Amino acid sequence: MRVRPFSNVSIAAATLVALLCGAWLLHRGAQTHAPPQPSAAQARAGGHVDRPAADALPHSPPDRVRIPSIRVDAPLMGLGLSPQGSLDVPPAARKNLAGWYEAGTAPGEKGTAIVAGHVDNAEGPAVFYRLGALKKGSTIEVGRRDGSVALFSVDTVEVYDARDFPDERVYGAAGRPELRVITCGGGYAAGTGYQGNVVVFAHLTGSRRA
Amino acid sequence: MCTARLLTGTALAVASAALCAAPAYGAPTYGAEAGPKAGTGSIELYPSTVAPGAEVTVNTASCEADDAVSGDAGAVGAGGFTLIPSAHEGDAVGHFEVPPSAQPGTYEIVVRCSSGTRMTGDLVVTLTSTQESRPQTQVHPRGSVKTGVGGALGPDPVQTAAGVAALAVAAAGGTWLLHRRARGDGI
Repeated sequence: MRVRPFSNVSIAAATLVALLCGAWLLHRGAQTHAPPQPSAAQARAGGHVDRPAADALPHSPPDRVRIPSIRVDAPLMGLGLSPQGSLDVPPAARKNLAGWYEAGTAPGEKGTAIVAGHVDNAEGPAVFYRLGALKKGSTIEVGRRDGSVALFSVDTVEVYDARDFPDERVYGAAGRPELRVITCGGGYAAGTGYQGNVVVFAHLTGSRRA
Repeated sequence: MCTARLLTGTALAVASAALCAAPAYGAPTYGAEAGPKAGTGSIELYPSTVAPGAEVTVNTASCEADDAVSGDAGAVGAGGFTLIPSAHEGDAVGHFEVPPSAQPGTYEIVVRCSSGTRMTGDLVVTLTSTQESRPQTQVHPRGSVKTGVGGALGPDPVQTAAGVAALAVAAAGGTWLLHRRARGDGI
């Protein structure tokens, strides 16, 4: 009698499993993976425990941003302005790199500090892909070069159309230490790209040593 | 407004062409007053004004695609570094860290393509980052930020390839079963 290392049943079972896995993977791979967008509830202040604002920290450039609830942990580079006056962005090739507006307020100082990063690049999701899924009351940590970590609490998460961008609300001066975290969002069209920006508004609630 | 991938590619191609047209030698140098992104010749330093201990990103589009690109930040005490081609229209990108002991001043950063082109850019080291050079009334950015090209939206090539591989395994298994049946091994 011939020795048969595999029974027909086991081959048939393996074939079936491979067939189902292959179909599932092809189906998943063909789906689009649009970044999450904030719900209307996240755009309204209130509805959560608003942690009291902390006193401003002295100036120190930031070097890292962490948002544990959406698994962000990225170094920060300095950003300037483009010739058109808009905020520059980090090199798109580095997907886990964010930037801060270094001619402006440093995170923790009194005023409005600005952090920006890519939602995706040509290869796929980037550092702030999940920023639109952030919830009110979440914590944003900004590591600073003086060894302190500034802790911010999210106030609202909003989406603005690029054609009607509220410059003063996003970038304008604030009387307490505040933070904006910006990435692309607001729907995507093949011809024009992302329609606007997701903007996270947060205020300083404290600090700790790194 | 965020630009589509096609538009980004076109803009980069134009930018690359403009960079290549710039003379590699004898280009005027810009100091700190030219702003945080100033560079000379055909390399860009991000940021170009830093405090000791900071990491600097160096970017050039001026080397050939198959060039080996090396950088020298020895002037500021950071030694040599390598620039690696990125997915971006032939840009090569490298990094170095300004030593925490670096003294304030302006330092020349050199980048060489293996095909012979030599480019330089000025790095300004200040003790307290840009705090002292900040104007009393801040200039706020305007408008939206271009932070995405839609690359997350397309099909996932890894999952697609894995799916094709799994279907190939299934096809092999099916063929094997049919082969046994044809030999009369019974099902």
